[in-house]
Amino acid sequence: MSASEAPTRSRFLRFRLKLLAAMMVVISAMTGFAFYLAQRQLALNAEQELEREFQGEIAALHQVQDVHRAALATSCRVLAEKPRIHAALEDNALDLLYPNAKDELRDLMRQKDQRLEESETPALQATFCRFLDSRGAVITPPNPTDFGTLRLEEESQLALKTLPGEEQIGYLLRRSADSGETVDEVIAMPILSSETGEPIAAIVVGVKPVELGRHRLPSSIKSGIWLSDHLYLPSLADSAQTTMLEREVTRVIAPLDRPEKSFRVKVNGVPHLLFYKWLNPDSLFPPAYEICIYSLSDLLTRQEQVRWQILGAGAVLLFGAFAVTHFAAGRLSGPVTQLVEESAEDRAERDRAEAALEKTSKELQRSARFSANTSHQLKTPVAVLRAGLEELRAHENLTPEGREEIATLIHQTYRITSIIEDLLLLSQMDAGCLRINPSSVDLSHLLEAQIDDLSALPDGMDVEVESDCARVQIAGEKHYVGLILQNLLENARKYNRPGGRIQIRCQENGEWAVITVGNTGRIIPEPAREHIFERFHRGSVGEDIKGHGLGLNLARELARLHGGDVRLLSSENDWTVFEVRFRLVQQPSPATAKVQ
Amino acid sequence: MRGRLLLLLAVIGVAPTFSFAQAVIEGQVELPKTSSVPVVVKRYEVVTTRGIIAVKPPLAVVYVEGSFPKRTSEPPGKQMLQKDLNFVPTLLPVQVGTKVAFPNLDDTYHNIFSFSPAKRFDLGRYRSDETPIPSVVFDVPGLVTLRCDIHEHMRALILVLATPYFATSDSEGHFRLSGLPAGHYTLKAWLSSKTTLERPVDLSSGSTLHVTLP
Repeated sequence: MSASEAPTRSRFLRFRLKLLAAMMVVISAMTGFAFYLAQRQLALNAEQELEREFQGEIAALHQVQDVHRAALATSCRVLAEKPRIHAALEDNALDLLYPNAKDELRDLMRQKDQRLEESETPALQATFCRFLDSRGAVITPPNPTDFGTLRLEEESQLALKTLPGEEQIGYLLRRSADSGETVDEVIAMPILSSETGEPIAAIVVGVKPVELGRHRLPSSIKSGIWLSDHLYLPSLADSAQTTMLEREVTRVIAPLDRPEKSFRVKVNGVPHLLFYKWLNPDSLFPPAYEICIYSLSDLLTRQEQVRWQILGAGAVLLFGAFAVTHFAAGRLSGPVTQLVEESAEDRAERDRAEAALEKTSKELQRSARFSANTSHQLKTPVAVLRAGLEELRAHENLTPEGREEIATLIHQTYRITSIIEDLLLLSQMDAGCLRINPSSVDLSHLLEAQIDDLSALPDGMDVEVESDCARVQIAGEKHYVGLILQNLLENARKYNRPGGRIQIRCQENGEWAVITVGNTGRIIPEPAREHIFERFHRGSVGEDIKGHGLGLNLARELARLHGGDVRLLSSENDWTVFEVRFRLVQQPSPATAKVQ
Repeated sequence: MRGRLLLLLAVIGVAPTFSFAQAVIEGQVELPKTSSVPVVVKRYEVVTTRGIIAVKPPLAVVYVEGSFPKRTSEPPGKQMLQKDLNFVPTLLPVQVGTKVAFPNLDDTYHNIFSFSPAKRFDLGRYRSDETPIPSVVFDVPGLVTLRCDIHEHMRALILVLATPYFATSDSEGHFRLSGLPAGHYTLKAWLSSKTTLERPVDLSSGSTLHVTLP
């Protein structure tokens, strides 16, 4: 056992390693998958949250715009009801327009009351006011400082192709020396004639756009406006980044095919989520988009945290798995080890058996070879002996007793030869050297010949032979089939009683040719029956009966070699029956007959 | 009532010519078709559609332009009443230099003003007991839109003409100009701030010309 212990142990270790590796692979895959899912879910959630936030901001923006619009609409209604405004517009007295609208416009441009600064509903606080005439052109005020100073190109951007029937939202990029670049939201509201209901003019006011994300940290959100290929993003100080973003946003937005969308951008190397929404669809003013950039650094930090959490969980899982593996391997490998040990024992036993078998086989071959050699070696001296005896008997000066004695000796040499031949045959069979060359044998013909030979035997036994043979063809080698029949018939005669009877039947039974040989005489006692086919067994018959105990054995071995068999059918009441069966010749089909 | 007043005013405007001119033009101006159904109590109003000022239902002012002997006397004064929160008449033709008074017959304030290029003025708020009655001299030919700063619906037109010979048509467009001097003139019919029909006419003393415009 100590010799096989080392390989068993290494095998066991290997098994445990494999188990551990498999578990590691599974846990790594699970960890990876969980990580991927968590990352995706996080990103998705974050995007949805930001999107909600953006939509919320936009909604707030619209709310403020609605307030502005309502305020402006009220002003417009008041203006439209003023006969002096009508007069100025309809009676070609545009110079009187602004002075007569001064009160209303001052209301619009009123500086917000400090006490109302914190109120949630921001009042309209216009940065400038302008009228559009009936063709949509800007009416320049006689005294621009009162109505918000605009540069010429800024003012010209307020003009519309036609006088709008309803309010229009636009955005105006303004540049001033002191505050730099700003964007004003522009609301154009028509002034409808109080008598015809048609627009007779429009009022355009500029307001500071609502800053999105006012309540958030400035670094996490940046909002701005994209207008005519220009990005106004005051919270992003870096002009290079702004230019880069402007290019990116313009590339996405310029086709104007989607009113709102989001995409990812990198600002200062940090990924950001950029939302945009068309602020003034269907407006006569150029399209403007609200741009909101949300930093994803929060998301990245959270993802980082989750990554460590999951990795930690994976490590714990792996450690746990290691423990479990250790335990499980111990439990699992118990039977496995046992199995290995058992299988080792089995193998050893098998090896031993194989060795024994080989040894036996070799011995058998050697003994068979020895038998064959011996048989051959014996034949020659016997033949010499017989020839000598024959010569001796032919001598003239022999007494009749002496002659008789010599004749007996000669007969004994024949018997020896017969034994030798049988032994030779058996040893050939034992060595597996005997090959049958089957051909079609006419069994009834062969039987007749054997019966003739039988009756010619000079033993003086008065035995009656009956035969009832159908003509059958069997597959076999004629010489050996003859030998089988001869053995059986000789036995039937040998063990008969004087005045007895031998009955031979031959018939077809299915694919078999069945020959039964029955004879009168002493029966074979029950205990001897299982031994009668053994070599050199002669039953309980006395030594008075000639024979050497090889006949039945030879007959059975030969019959089995032919695919048939010899057995004892019955032995009782002065009647012993043996049966031998051979395979019938397969009736060849005409097609295969030629080949044979 | 108002029709009769219009007629009266027309007679007043034409009266001074009786002494030395005898020609008469009478006829009809084809007034623009209006979709509004005729009302029983005639109530004219000034309507501005796409910048075109006209009276609705339509009325025409027919006048004769040409060179007339200059008169030394000022044209007689006219009145534009404010009555029942309306101007009466809605359309008043006057000769250049006419002084128009604006008596307030209502029991409330009115503030008559005009931003029209032909005459800009603002009478300020006044009541019916205001004395003297606020008045304005119209010294430039052209169309003057009158409004009240307090009552935005109140509108009226004063058509200032460089001729003493004019008349306002009735609602079917019929008109009559009498006491015209003989001579070669242009007959014009004002329909709106955009449309004025015209035709040359030859007048001989004592004749009556029948004209249909256009």
